[in-house]
Amino acid sequence: MTEEVKSDGKRSNAFVVSPQKRKMQKLAKNAGEALLLGIASFVAIIVLFIFYFVAVDAIPYFQLRGFTEFFTSTGWYPAGEPGEFGALAIIYGSAMVTLGSALLAVPMGIAAAVCLSDILPFSVRQYAKPVIEMLAAIPSVAFGFFALVILAPLLQSNGGPLLMWTWWVLAAPFLLLAVIVAADLLSARFAQEENRKKMALLLQSLFGILAVLVLYVVGTKLNAIEIITGTNALNVSIILSFMALPTIVSVAEDALQSVGRELREGSYALGATRAETLLKTVLPAASSGILAAVILGIMRALGETMVVWMASGNSSHIPDPWFNYLEAVRTLTATIAGDMGEADQVTGSARYHVLFAMGLLLLVISFFSNLVSERIVVRQRKILSGQ
Amino acid sequence: MQMRAEHKESAAKGSATATRDIYIPSERVAVSGGGTPHVVAKDFSIYYGDFEAVKKVNAEILSKYVTAIIGPSGCGKSTFLRAINRMNDLIPSCHTSGILRFDGEDIYGKLTDEVLLRKKIGMVFQKPNPFPKSIFDNIAYGPRLHGMNDRKQLEEIVEKSLRKAALWDEVSDRLERNALGLSGGQQQRLCVARTLAVEPEILLLDEPTSALDPKATAKIEDLIQELRGSYTIMIVTHNMQQASRVSDYTMFFYEGVLVEYAQTAQLFTNPKDRMTEDYITGRFS
Amino acid sequence: MNLGTRKILDNSFTAVGMGSIVVMALALLAVLTPIVYNGVGAVFFTGTIEHRTILYKEYGRGDAKTIETQTATAERYRGEAYRMLSDFEAEMEGMPFEASSRYRSQYAQVRAAMSSLLGPLPGDPTPMLTRFQYGQTRWEKAEEKLHEILYEKKWDYSDPTVMAKAFYVPRAEAFAGTMLAPLFGYLDRHLADMMQPEFTVYWGFFTDRSLDAHIFGGIWPEIQGTFFLAIGAMLFAFPLGVIAAVYFTEYAKEGFFTSILRSANSTLAGVPSIVFGLFGLAFFINTMKVSESKSVLAGSLTLAIMILPTIIRAAEEAILSVPKTYKEASLGLGSTKWNTIATVILPAALPGIITGGIISLGRAAGETAPIIFTAAVSVGSAIGIADVFSSPTPALSWNIYNLASEHEMACEIRHVQYGMVLSLVSIVLLLNLSAILLRAKISQKLKG
Ligand SMILES: Nc1ncnc2c1ncn2[C@@H]1O[C@H](COP(=O)(O)OP(=O)(O)OP(=O)(O)O)[C@@H](O)[C@H]1O
Ligand SMILES: [Mg+2]
Repeated sequence: MTEEVKSDGKRSNAFVVSPQKRKMQKLAKNAGEALLLGIASFVAIIVLFIFYFVAVDAIPYFQLRGFTEFFTSTGWYPAGEPGEFGALAIIYGSAMVTLGSALLAVPMGIAAAVCLSDILPFSVRQYAKPVIEMLAAIPSVAFGFFALVILAPLLQSNGGPLLMWTWWVLAAPFLLLAVIVAADLLSARFAQEENRKKMALLLQSLFGILAVLVLYVVGTKLNAIEIITGTNALNVSIILSFMALPTIVSVAEDALQSVGRELREGSYALGATRAETLLKTVLPAASSGILAAVILGIMRALGETMVVWMASGNSSHIPDPWFNYLEAVRTLTATIAGDMGEADQVTGSARYHVLFAMGLLLLVISFFSNLVSERIVVRQRKILSGQ
Repeated sequence: MQMRAEHKESAAKGSATATRDIYIPSERVAVSGGGTPHVVAKDFSIYYGDFEAVKKVNAEILSKYVTAIIGPSGCGKSTFLRAINRMNDLIPSCHTSGILRFDGEDIYGKLTDEVLLRKKIGMVFQKPNPFPKSIFDNIAYGPRLHGMNDRKQLEEIVEKSLRKAALWDEVSDRLERNALGLSGGQQQRLCVARTLAVEPEILLLDEPTSALDPKATAKIEDLIQELRGSYTIMIVTHNMQQASRVSDYTMFFYEGVLVEYAQTAQLFTNPKDRMTEDYITGRFS
Repeated sequence: MNLGTRKILDNSFTAVGMGSIVVMALALLAVLTPIVYNGVGAVFFTGTIEHRTILYKEYGRGDAKTIETQTATAERYRGEAYRMLSDFEAEMEGMPFEASSRYRSQYAQVRAAMSSLLGPLPGDPTPMLTRFQYGQTRWEKAEEKLHEILYEKKWDYSDPTVMAKAFYVPRAEAFAGTMLAPLFGYLDRHLADMMQPEFTVYWGFFTDRSLDAHIFGGIWPEIQGTFFLAIGAMLFAFPLGVIAAVYFTEYAKEGFFTSILRSANSTLAGVPSIVFGLFGLAFFINTMKVSESKSVLAGSLTLAIMILPTIIRAAEEAILSVPKTYKEASLGLGSTKWNTIATVILPAALPGIITGGIISLGRAAGETAPIIFTAAVSVGSAIGIADVFSSPTPALSWNIYNLASEHEMACEIRHVQYGMVLSLVSIVLLLNLSAILLRAKISQKLKG
């Protein structure tokens, strides 16, 4: 850097260098960039390697046993002689806990994202964000431990009353709201202007009684439920929803933030309330970004290992009835983690390779979900930037 | 409109006949040691992709003089200025045609080391942009880059540069403080000092006062007066008073074309081109 | 709809949003509270003389004099109980067979519970396993054992429609009229005399090796293993990630190839952690053979791959947030591109890059699935730094799982599990907290 080429002596112009030096500079620059590119491509190479090495160990399984048993049978006896490798119940278990956690986390996550981006004042948001970050940071094994040691016994001993209270706390406000809205809508539809108030009051009390009845009946039903085992699909779904929430909230919030102020102001200017603005204008505009958030959140739940391994009960069967979340289930991730310990010694057997087959299945699902969510985000960015 | 067409014609003719192919100001004011062509443009065009932002400029910029560049927004002033020390290399789509010479050597030549070039041609930007380091480290940044590490020498250079930039008296007691703590005007003078520390021959100033208040602006203008005669200075400005106050020569650009280039006094009092006249009398924005 | 209803709907909408955030905060609280509360109990608790004896014998800590006197006192009270046992044994010898067999199984239970409470009873051979060589080290555990001695647990099957309920019958009733009858009252009265409880602060929990698979002792091997793995992962991933980020932000030309590279990055970020474990096993151990079998090196490499996308993203963001003017200024002064990156851009982006690094470090420390097949063992002592290339290591995350789910005395050592969980969560959260603070400081600095 320091030496200036004065060697040719004919000029004081130091910015023109000899052809050799220029060549060397170019060479060094290209070499440097190639090196950087090499390092940056490292990630792509790793991705290829992951697919390759998981597939290479997964394919022997399908060669040995074909596809039918894996995807259609529920018999999972890998240690048997001969072993059975029906993964249907396990795939079903994965789907079940993933769906369960999504049912809990998606509405809550979107509501929280909306709240963070549009409702809370900045001063409060400052404190809400670290809460979400901390929730995201807690190691999965700590969640698993909580599910196994605290939540499972709680569900097992007090499951019924717990369910009942949850139902009451959650359903009561919504039913109340439904009563008010229904009464309002109906009275507006069927009553004359002067009778409207009276009619609304009448309908409200009528619906109110109905709602209380529903609350009570369902509550007592729930109270009577006995939970056989606390390590079940419900337990895992609850915990997984905690883990998926931060992802959903942060990605959805980004999507909401990228919807411009103009859109919101336009809606307010037409006399919409905040809820109406958000529901009718902002959320639809951000919908694809929110969809991406949901996909990423679901992937987090599907790919989670420790919680399901510790607290799902690891029982390979399809619950009866199929939606019974109070039964133990078994998932793909937990099976890989749990069975490798024994399969490890028998490298080369179907028992070993079937676990890689499961890994491959997870990998493929996560790959496509990622692709889809990425596409969605890119598309939304394009739409919002008006291209 | 008509005028522009006419001008275009004449420019085209000029380059075609190539007798007196370079736009130079007719008369020269006296500045010691100045007056030789320092930067020479011949049919020099700059493109962003397909868009020709600066069109076939032919001009000589004289050494040790202050040359102002004026023109409406988007006419290519910054683009032209940044081409001189190849800052446009940062923009991938940007490329050039024609010739641009500095001290007789092609700036865009194959053998040009743009790093050494920029050392010779310093630049100060519209918004003051000190590094988030101490005042001392800001000024010493360039010399250190070019291999100077002796603390004594660095201290000398820092003091000399700050004095030249008329900032020494204000900051000599807090050289180790973060430069971001200075006022806007001080920051801009720091940026000038930082550039001077590399000992350039040419100073490019792109609207150096547009982000400053009148008082700070006055200081920068004083500074330019101080530096006149020691450096070749090119300054882009929107402020015509400023151009007439600080510069010896003025270039007027319109839509990428160098419309008129003359001694400042002459250009402002007696413009040859109707476009120039319209612009300096404020008939179009 | 009338305006009143719309207003109500609007407010309830707000309430739902707030409610969700409150639920999240409550979830965090619900998870953290028991972990913190019980985890603290691993260090601060009421310890018995057994605890002090173990510390003295196995770790060479504690005051020999006081331990001796306390042991003597405890032994005096225990002697009385032992005497009742041997009296009753003699009495049983003298009984007719049917009569004595009525007591035999219950008495065996009492003896087992007694030896679990106090350590091996006189006359018993010294047990092989350390866990049977000592009594209860913690007061609350001693009380539990006492309850086990005093009461027999029975199940009520009378109502077939509900699950059986447990209930307790005092053993004193079963042994009424025998020479063992006074034992129960005696134990109840003199438990403290026999155990010598004292408030204990056991910092050694973090720095001691474990004894007999964590039945006694501390968790140092796990803490050390976690640090080795996490720091090892950072050693690989951090430089790679930062360099890749520099490439993406400063050199990459937008195009097909770059978009492929970016896609690869987000794909890698989405790979389930257990698949990383499979890959680590198949690639690093079975194919590359970086080590015979599991090792810290293989685990670190696997974790490094896992955290790489996070680091790249954080570093990219940090670099992009450096004002463009810095770059222009530096280049304008005649600096080369590389020099500009090294002296201006990276220093300015450093806090942001470090923030990302810290968060990734926490992630690497907390993950379990990738190290199950590549690095973690359940029992083991702390390994030396030279062994990282060849030996596996215990690690907090893995051993929490192992102790809670697979340990044969999982219920007896909850305090150790809680202590481990608290340690892991504290490490991770402290790392995150420092990252949050660092970021707050950066944004303040950027504001001026
Ligand atoms: N990076 C770029 N890519 C494409 N076009 C550009 C780029 N930068 C500038 N241009 C275009 O080139 C033309 C000249 O721009 P330039 O910045 O040189 O104008 P200017 O005279 O400095 O204007 P101002 O007074 O507003 O600073 C404009 O039409 C502008 O839109
Ligand atoms: Mg400009």
